[in-house]
Amino acid sequence: MKLAQELRVGNVIKFNNDAYVILRTEYNRGGRNAATVRLKLKNLLIGNNTEQVYKADEKIDVIVLERKEVSYSYFADPMYVFMDAEYAQYEVEKENMGDALNFLEDGLACEVVFYDGRAISVELPSSVVREIVYTEPAVRGDTSGKVLKPAKINTGFEVQVPAFCEIGDKIEIDTASGEYRNRVKG
Amino acid sequence: MKWDIFCSVVDNYGDIGVCWRLARQLAAEYGFEVRLMCDDLQVFARICPGLDATAACQRAGGVEIRRWDGELHVAPAQVVLESFGCRLPEVYVEAMGRASAAPLWINFEYLSAENWVERCHGLPSRHGHLPLVTWFFYPGFTAATGGLLREAHLLRERDAFLADREVQVQYWRSLGLAPAARNLSLFCYGGAPLDAWLAELAAAPQPLRLIVPEGVANAELARWGLAVQAGSSVQHGGLSLVRIGLQDQPGYDRLLWACDMNVVRGEDSFLRALWAGRPFCWHIYPQQDGAHAAKLEAFLGRYLGEAGEGLARAAAVAFMRAWNGLDGAPDIAAAWRALQAQPAECAQFAAARAQHFAGGTDAAAGLVKFVREKLQ
Repeated sequence: MKLAQELRVGNVIKFNNDAYVILRTEYNRGGRNAATVRLKLKNLLIGNNTEQVYKADEKIDVIVLERKEVSYSYFADPMYVFMDAEYAQYEVEKENMGDALNFLEDGLACEVVFYDGRAISVELPSSVVREIVYTEPAVRGDTSGKVLKPAKINTGFEVQVPAFCEIGDKIEIDTASGEYRNRVKG
Repeated sequence: MKWDIFCSVVDNYGDIGVCWRLARQLAAEYGFEVRLMCDDLQVFARICPGLDATAACQRAGGVEIRRWDGELHVAPAQVVLESFGCRLPEVYVEAMGRASAAPLWINFEYLSAENWVERCHGLPSRHGHLPLVTWFFYPGFTAATGGLLREAHLLRERDAFLADREVQVQYWRSLGLAPAARNLSLFCYGGAPLDAWLAELAAAPQPLRLIVPEGVANAELARWGLAVQAGSSVQHGGLSLVRIGLQDQPGYDRLLWACDMNVVRGEDSFLRALWAGRPFCWHIYPQQDGAHAAKLEAFLGRYLGEAGEGLARAAAVAFMRAWNGLDGAPDIAAAWRALQAQPAECAQFAAARAQHFAGGTDAAAGLVKFVREKLQ
C-alpha cells in the first residue's frame, strides 16, 4: 500500500480487480492543510483512460510488479525502446509513457515495469537534472526564489523556476510533481 | 430524497458553518430530508442558539441533527455528503457497501479559486475494496466548478434591509447600539496586524465604530482595553471598539450588510462578506508552507476580474495582501490609507463584484444538479 501522495507515474495500482497504470499525477493543496491527488490512469485490462482524484493520505493498493533497470534508447513510433545491461530491448507504448515523456532523453536510467510479461510503463528516478533551453532574462536583484517564471527544458516541458535562473542553467526537477527543486552548479 | 451530511469540526466555525448552511438550504429550497451528523455540538451550538449540545438527535432549521461520536449505527441515506474529506465512520461505509443500491457518495471540498479546482471537480475516487465511488465536488468561482453557496432569497433580503433605514436602526438597537456614522466589523484569526491598523483607525479624522464578536482577537484587543464580554466597549480617539455576542448565521449576515466594511476569516464568512456587496478583507486560514498565499492570490485574480486594476481595486487588493502578510505587500497602515482615499469607488467595486458572482451557479443548485445526473 502507498499513500496517494506517494504514487508516481508508472506505478500500477489496483481497485477491486482492475489494474491501472498511472500516466499523470497532480498534487493539490486544499483548505486547512488537506490535499488531494489527481491521477490520470489507464486500465490495463480494457485499455481505456480515466481520471480520478484521491485524498493525499488515502491508502492505495499498489501492485508490485516485475521491473528491470534500463536506459532509454530510441523512439520507434509508436513505441519507446529501452535497453538493459545485457542489451535486451523492451518496448513501451507511447500512450503508456504518460508524463515520463516530459523528462525523457537518450540514455536516461529508469525502470521498465512488466505486467503479464508485457512492458507496460516506465518509472523514472525521483528527480532529474535538465538544462534550461529557454526562459526570460533573469530579474536583477531578486534572489529570494519566491518569484517564479516559466522555463523550457529540451523536451519542451515547461517548469516554473525562480526568477534568477537563466538559459543554460542546470536545474533539478521533481519528476512526480514536475516542480523545480534547485539549481545545480557545474 | 434523503441526504446525510457528515461534518467534523476541525477548529473554529468554518466546517460546521458551511455544512449547516448547506443542510438548511437543501431542506428549505428542495424539500430534501436532511440529517446533519456533527462531531462537535458544542461548537455548533455557538452558531445555532437553542441547539442542545448533549442531545443525540434533535431538529433545527428543518434539519435532523445527530451527534456523531463513534460509529453511528444508522441506515445510510440515498445521498451521502462527506464534507471536507472528514472520513465517514467505517461501520457506515460498510453499510453503504452492503446497500442494494449503493448511495451516491460525495466529498464536498473546500472552496478555492485556484485553476486546478476545475480539473478536479466532479472526478470519482474508487473505494479500495468496496463497490463504492466517492465523487469530488468542488465549489468554485467558474462555470467549470460547483459554484458558490448562496440561498435563493439572500440578495433580496439584503437589498430589502439596505433599502429600509428604520429596519437598520432597529437592527442596531437589537445589538444594544445606536446607529453610527461609520461601522466596521472584525472577525479575524490570531496573527492579524491589529495594533498598527487600530492605531490608524484611532488617529482617523472621522469617528468610526469597530464591532467585534465574542471570541475574536481577545488577547490583541485586551491590549486596547476591550474586554471579552459582549456589551463591553472602549474609546480611542475617534475609534470606538465594541464587543457583541457571537452571531448566528442570519445575524452575521445582517451585521455584514449593516457595516461599511468587514474583515472576515475562513470560508463561510468570507463568502457571506462577498454577498454583502460591501468592501471586505479576507483573512485566509493560514496553512503550512504558506500554501494559503496562492489561494488568496487566486481569489484576488478572480475578484479583480477582467477589467484589471483601477485605483480602488488596487487598494482593495493591496489591503488584503497586507492583512495576510503576503510577500511584497505594503504595510497595513499605508494600505489602509490608500483604501480610505476612495471609499465611494471601493464600495461601488465591492457591490459590482457581488453582482457579478451572483450571476454564477449557487453551489447547492450545482450539487443538486450533479446528484440528479449521477442518480439517473
